[in-house]
Amino acid sequence: MTLLIGALIIGLILSLLALGVLVSFRIFSMSDITTDGSITLGASIAAVMLVKGVNPVLATAAGALGGACAGAVTGIIHTKFKINSLLSGILVMTALYSVNLHVMGRSNVPLMQARTLASYGESTGEWLANGKTVNVLGWTVASADAALLVLTLLFAGLAGAALFAFFRTQLGTAMRATGDNPQMIRALGSNVELNIILGLALANSFVALSGALLAQYQGFADAQMGIGMVVWGLASVIIGEALTGTRSLGLTIVGTIMGSVLFRLLVAIALRWGLNPNDLKLITALFVFAALVLPGFLERLKTRKHAA
Amino acid sequence: MLSIKAIRKTFNPDTVNEVRALQGVDLTIEPGSFVIVLGMNGSGKSTLLNAVAGSFYVDEGTINLAGHHVTKWPEHKRAKLIGRVFQNPFSGTAPTMSIAENFALASKRGQARGLGWALSPQVMRPLRDRIASLKMGLEDRLDNAIGSLSGGQRQALTLLMATWIKPELLLLDEHTAALDPKSADQVITLSDEVIQRDQLTTLMVTHSMQQAVSLGDRIIMMHRGRVLHDIRGAEKKRLRPEDLLDRFDEVRRREQLDESAAAMLNDLYI
Repeated sequence: MTLLIGALIIGLILSLLALGVLVSFRIFSMSDITTDGSITLGASIAAVMLVKGVNPVLATAAGALGGACAGAVTGIIHTKFKINSLLSGILVMTALYSVNLHVMGRSNVPLMQARTLASYGESTGEWLANGKTVNVLGWTVASADAALLVLTLLFAGLAGAALFAFFRTQLGTAMRATGDNPQMIRALGSNVELNIILGLALANSFVALSGALLAQYQGFADAQMGIGMVVWGLASVIIGEALTGTRSLGLTIVGTIMGSVLFRLLVAIALRWGLNPNDLKLITALFVFAALVLPGFLERLKTRKHAA
Repeated sequence: MLSIKAIRKTFNPDTVNEVRALQGVDLTIEPGSFVIVLGMNGSGKSTLLNAVAGSFYVDEGTINLAGHHVTKWPEHKRAKLIGRVFQNPFSGTAPTMSIAENFALASKRGQARGLGWALSPQVMRPLRDRIASLKMGLEDRLDNAIGSLSGGQRQALTLLMATWIKPELLLLDEHTAALDPKSADQVITLSDEVIQRDQLTTLMVTHSMQQAVSLGDRIIMMHRGRVLHDIRGAEKKRLRPEDLLDRFDEVRRREQLDESAAAMLNDLYI
């Protein structure tokens, strides 16, 4: 049971990362590798501030802001210096590795003693449940875990709703149009370059927020924690699209959150069944490759059958 | 209204692909004037429109529009003054977004975009009626993605979007060239209606002699990056398609003469 709840919580925390990837990958049609660096940046900024005793809400917000800056830098390199978006992301990701080490001062910052959002959530849960365990639908669960699950669910829901609302504002629709048809939105007087910079800042603030929360949940920030995270986000987005379709933005957002949780659950089950954790990134990459290639392949198979 | 002075533009300068697209164009257009731009392929008509719209900066010369020196303005800033319809029906609309959302974007042309709802009542209220006036039955499909519509429908909507806020200048770049004859007719009729109703200052590029004689009050004929003929007033009213074709032939003949004369001089003196 603890394993299941743990998987759900991590899935929900990483759904913020998946939402960030949704913005860069689906709205702006960019594969933004800054993600790998900005999740660690969010985690390390939050961790360092928490160790110094800063208020956890403030530390988490600072982490998200750091991600926004990283995304903006990628956007500026891409739009102002006309460097390919993939390469811009790679440059910033590489630079962020050093930045993160400087922020943390070493490669790993543990949060054992620090008061974090997670520890606040756990103690609130125990206070509400009036004990170490609580009965949920017949299951006995640690009340700390239950509280964290509710808290992360709330976080993911709020983030999804905020993103949905934003993309229905004047600025948000102009950003969607930037990804859809830049020529059109430029002719309607919107600054395409600025929209891309803002969009990548928004995407990476979600990614860094996810990193800040993840560090607090797992109790440490680590320089290596970002490796392969953009692929993880892509997998979540793709699973989400399979679950809810892409007909409306709201459904896509809900799907992405569900996709992240489902993917984490599948991974937890596979690990439980004896999957070598070393193979995890390989399998994730293979999965995303298959999900990107299969639809086109099936389509061709179908037309060939028609032709025959 | 629009005043263009001695603008020049060379693409890929000092390479084998050098194209002198505009070689000193002077043009003044009065408010409310509807100007047709004619010319053969490569004569610089579309380049002229793009220079005015700000798709690139001109190498020399100045452009003044509605009392602003816009020569150094970026494209998105000039959009405050200019409405545009492109040749490609896919260029003027955002395909995965709904009809209503596309119009919400157009209703903010050249204005600051904030965090207010895009589909506000101020946008939605007049939208249905204006779209119903197209008589295409699109008023019941406002939530449909615009990419699901035909080229003619999209071009009609783009025209409506470009003129939703009255532009100081309307630029139509062969906006019916990619449509089937029936849709092209519809879009041309609609363009003329909107231009007459709102007294829009308009620059329209076309390849159709028929459109050139039946529409507008002035014809500019471009050749090799310059304005060759400027026909207006009574002369424009009397003009028939054959007259225009004659002028095209004249250009072609002169071009041949030039080339053969050059060849002759070459043989004689070099």
